[in-house]
Amino acid sequence: MSPFRDSEDLHQSLGGFFDTLTTSPEGQLIHRVGGSILFIFHHPEGRILWSPLPPPGSWPAFRVLRGAETASVEPLLTFEQDGETAHRFWLGEIDLAQALARQQLRATGPLSRAMKLLPHLDPVYPRYAAWVAARPGPA
Amino acid sequence: MRVLASVLRDYEDLGLEELELDDPGPGEVLVRILAAGVCHSDYHVVSGDLPLPTPMVLGHEGAGVVEAVGGGVSRVRPGDAVVLNWLPSCGHCRYCLDGRPELCRQPAVAAQHGTLPGGRTPFRRPSTGEPVYQFSLTGAFAERTVVPEAGVVPLPPGVPAHEAALLGCSVLTGTGAVWRTARVQPAESVAVLGTGGVGLNILQAARLVSAWPRIAVDANPRRLETAQGLGATHTVLAGQGGELDRILELTDGTGVDAAFEAIGRPETMALAFNATRPGGRAVLVGVAPPHVDLRVNAFAFPSQAKTLTGCWYGQSWPARDIPALARLHAAGVLTLESLASRRYRLDQLEEALQAMLKGTVTRALILPSG
Repeated sequence: MSPFRDSEDLHQSLGGFFDTLTTSPEGQLIHRVGGSILFIFHHPEGRILWSPLPPPGSWPAFRVLRGAETASVEPLLTFEQDGETAHRFWLGEIDLAQALARQQLRATGPLSRAMKLLPHLDPVYPRYAAWVAARPGPA
Repeated sequence: MRVLASVLRDYEDLGLEELELDDPGPGEVLVRILAAGVCHSDYHVVSGDLPLPTPMVLGHEGAGVVEAVGGGVSRVRPGDAVVLNWLPSCGHCRYCLDGRPELCRQPAVAAQHGTLPGGRTPFRRPSTGEPVYQFSLTGAFAERTVVPEAGVVPLPPGVPAHEAALLGCSVLTGTGAVWRTARVQPAESVAVLGTGGVGLNILQAARLVSAWPRIAVDANPRRLETAQGLGATHTVLAGQGGELDRILELTDGTGVDAAFEAIGRPETMALAFNATRPGGRAVLVGVAPPHVDLRVNAFAFPSQAKTLTGCWYGQSWPARDIPALARLHAAGVLTLESLASRRYRLDQLEEALQAMLKGTVTRALILPSG
């Protein structure tokens, strides 16, 4: 069962958490990717895009676009998954290699640029758990 | 202690660095590396196709001598000649107990993080203390490394390090794919797509069980010549189209009993499946990037009952299989000498990788001690 009620809930909830990352130290990592990252969600349907804001070191590190507004930016990397997989990923509960192997997550573009950020995401997972706990709703 | 190591600083950026190496902790072993083979998997990390954290000490196909052991280590002692095992399984999980240690999650998770099973890496940059990750719990492109006790396999006497290193990956993987995964029988036909280090050992293993014909497929004519020396009875020059037709011609139109893909490309993986006879086995040994999908015909599964499978580390049990392979070599049955065709210094890793990619070497060896 998806932790998100509908697309609006996903865009507000996960998108809201991504907003907090734009001013976090980890937010600067997007400059190492070298382009925009599009997350495509199913169950519920949704789209969130991270678009880096130069120069590196400045804040916010990136913009968070939601839904139809994501079409205005060409992504470098795309990750496609269902809402539950996304929720579990940001809780730190997903083994990425296993998720890719089971096609729970599909990636297009230069995956290596995103993968090298993974070791730096460990501090982010508990912050997402706290964000979810503080949010009203089923998740 | 300080050691020289070839470090992947970022993707496509290699360089020699002096690193601080921790002493071996409990259950760990310090190994002086004498030889380390250069494998396509190393290049997959360099290119980012096998995405792992950086900076990282690459190299996983190594052999050397134990210099020190941490507390509780009982299987080896200083002075022992060893081969590195890049998949030191835990020994007590469901997969280990099922006799499938290559599927053990403990080393897989550690390898994804570039660390030892406890979550730390033994390498650090001296100036900043920044951790330098370790490829597949080994990090063999260094003068010395620290690995788990299960990450070394003692060698019988008489196998030189520059040959023993190959037992740690390409030989184990290739022979295991034939003997354990596909279980090739005498007079069965095989095709091997890709005749690099692993592919040549697939051919060698197929020869040792009297498979026939043994068809080698590669886009590099030089590699096909080497393949003939190691067991190929027929060769197919790839890259010009018609590879499938040629394999079917050589097998009376039915396809091979067992096809092996040792490249890691979805196109050649599909070719391996399509070149397999109804009821036969296609074994994927090559490592594709983790986000790549494979397209094969769905109707062929029920209608032709083919088996499409893969294997990791030759479905082997290194502590059992590496000494056994060393004994086969000592008996003159298994060829190792001609597999390692050129030696390089630690600072020549880039050159060695290029030679491997161009196919001008059978297997490049790094000799960290010069």
